[in-house]
Amino acid sequence: MTWLVWRQHRAQVAWAAGALAVFAAAIAITGVHMADLYGAAVRDDGSAGPRLLDHLFDGYGAIIDTVHLTLLLPVVLGAFVAAPLIAREADLATDALVWTQSVTRRRWLAAKLAAVVGGCVALAAGVSALVTWWSGTPNALGGDRFHGAQFDTQNLTPVAFTLFAVALGLAAGAALRRTLPAVVATVVGYVAVRMAVGIFVRPHWLAPLHRTGGAGPDARLRSGSWLVKSDLLDPSGHAVGVRLAVPRSCARVSAQAIDGCMTRAGFRTVITYHPPGHYWPMQLAESGLFVALAAGLLAFAVVRTLRAEP
Amino acid sequence: MTAADATVAIEADGLGKRYRRGWAVEDCSFRLPAGRVCGLVGANGAGKSTLIRMLAGLARPTAGRAAVDGRAPDGNDPEFLRSVGYLAQDVPLYPRWTARAHLALGAALNPAWDQDLARDRLDLLGIPLDQRVEQLSGGMRAQVALAVAIGKRPRVLLLDEPVAALDPLARREFLASLAVLMAGHDLTVLLSSHLLPDLERICDHLVVLVEGRAVLADDVDEIIRTHKLVRGPESARRALARRHRVVDDDSAGPVASAVVRLQGPEPDPACELHDLSLEDIVLAYLAGARAARTVPDLALAGAGEGR
Repeated sequence: MTWLVWRQHRAQVAWAAGALAVFAAAIAITGVHMADLYGAAVRDDGSAGPRLLDHLFDGYGAIIDTVHLTLLLPVVLGAFVAAPLIAREADLATDALVWTQSVTRRRWLAAKLAAVVGGCVALAAGVSALVTWWSGTPNALGGDRFHGAQFDTQNLTPVAFTLFAVALGLAAGAALRRTLPAVVATVVGYVAVRMAVGIFVRPHWLAPLHRTGGAGPDARLRSGSWLVKSDLLDPSGHAVGVRLAVPRSCARVSAQAIDGCMTRAGFRTVITYHPPGHYWPMQLAESGLFVALAAGLLAFAVVRTLRAEP
Repeated sequence: MTAADATVAIEADGLGKRYRRGWAVEDCSFRLPAGRVCGLVGANGAGKSTLIRMLAGLARPTAGRAAVDGRAPDGNDPEFLRSVGYLAQDVPLYPRWTARAHLALGAALNPAWDQDLARDRLDLLGIPLDQRVEQLSGGMRAQVALAVAIGKRPRVLLLDEPVAALDPLARREFLASLAVLMAGHDLTVLLSSHLLPDLERICDHLVVLVEGRAVLADDVDEIIRTHKLVRGPESARRALARRHRVVDDDSAGPVASAVVRLQGPEPDPACELHDLSLEDIVLAYLAGARAARTVPDLALAGAGEGR
């Protein structure tokens, strides 16, 4: 089986290895540069000022975009490596060819799954390690690693997402037994589940904390926190919507003084946020969810394939 | 494997496969002695492919049982897989691979792989080893697929309409090469086709499948010896029907006649008996089954063609 697995996947291995090598080189070079820039800027903080920090990485748009694009790696692997694994054999009717050689169907499936699931997860882990290392500097600069592309491309989650996408591709291929529908189902299914979990589940992995402060801009959070939302409350404690009625006493106050005036008038800002300490529990919880989903899909794909009658 | 089983290469016993649309193979029973080249004939949709896929361990029977070389077909039984070679309809191959890569696949997946046998066949037939198989002709592709099936050195070879897609010349060459192959090896072949003349050329045994049932399974010589066209008065033919099996009755024709399978001694001298070709006999089974759908008692009703 080693021969067959290598023969069928060697092109994919070559592509992945080539892309990973180029990506690693770009990450290493820019990562070191950006860390130096940031270090120098922080040392000169007194003279350079925060405005320079805002524009510190303006010349690095290409690598920043590339790093954000690793967000797509799981679904690419799921749709173009995993989904065709069974579906393509069914398209060509070659499942009837390989399943009537002397190797049992169980062994064939075990070898193919081990290679493809293992390979994709290893690739995702490698990319995630590179991105996580590289992101140390931008994370420090932005003071945040909770937001979409950061939370989803660093540490554990990208690996769990990849396992899920690959399992989804295998399940779709086993169920639909046609390559194109399996690819489409994988992409649609992956995007739908990721969006649903990101929007409806992720903010609730841990109960967010609240902090009340004066009216005006969000009270300063510790660097590395995730601000979920910020509400302005009127003196009676009701949330003020977008149509804010400025109290008469503050109507003629200058723009600089309005926050202080409103605070004195009894207005308060309540922020809902996740402190930096919530990062790892949330990474673990979300990764765990996607690993569990992947396990279910893999079991389904195995049963469907062993029962298939080509 | 017991000594008794050694002489039976394929056995089907009440074998059936039901799909949502109905039974594809139903209550199918026959035995194929080892060493034969057996043709499996039937109309399109008679269940030939389903039967062969069950024997190859690809489809699970809904009813009954099968044994190939003494083992129940099972895609997870390595012993079974080693003893059976299968060539699917439309001879699937990996289109971008060369013939050489397909032989390497056979070598990698089969412990008893015979590289010389497979390689020599392709060399002999002048099939380029280093061209993608998608660039080869249909006949050459069929030969590559057959070489893979043969190279694993199976004891039973199942071929599902391997020549259906080929032009007449390629068909003839394929069958001739199969006959040559048979001569040198301890091999049983079950070969399905709806083209009877092809089968007639190389088969010494025949199974006729009608609506998923094996209505006839015997050596070709025996089939020709026992099947006769009978002409004679209706009373004589009725008397005949009591002792022998009427396969197809054609009383509506210009001369009333019936195809019968003789069981026991020669029939009534009041009837004329004529020899039949294998094709006529098979056609009589196919036509008889069609008539039986509308006329329950074929022999006595005296009706002509059904429908």
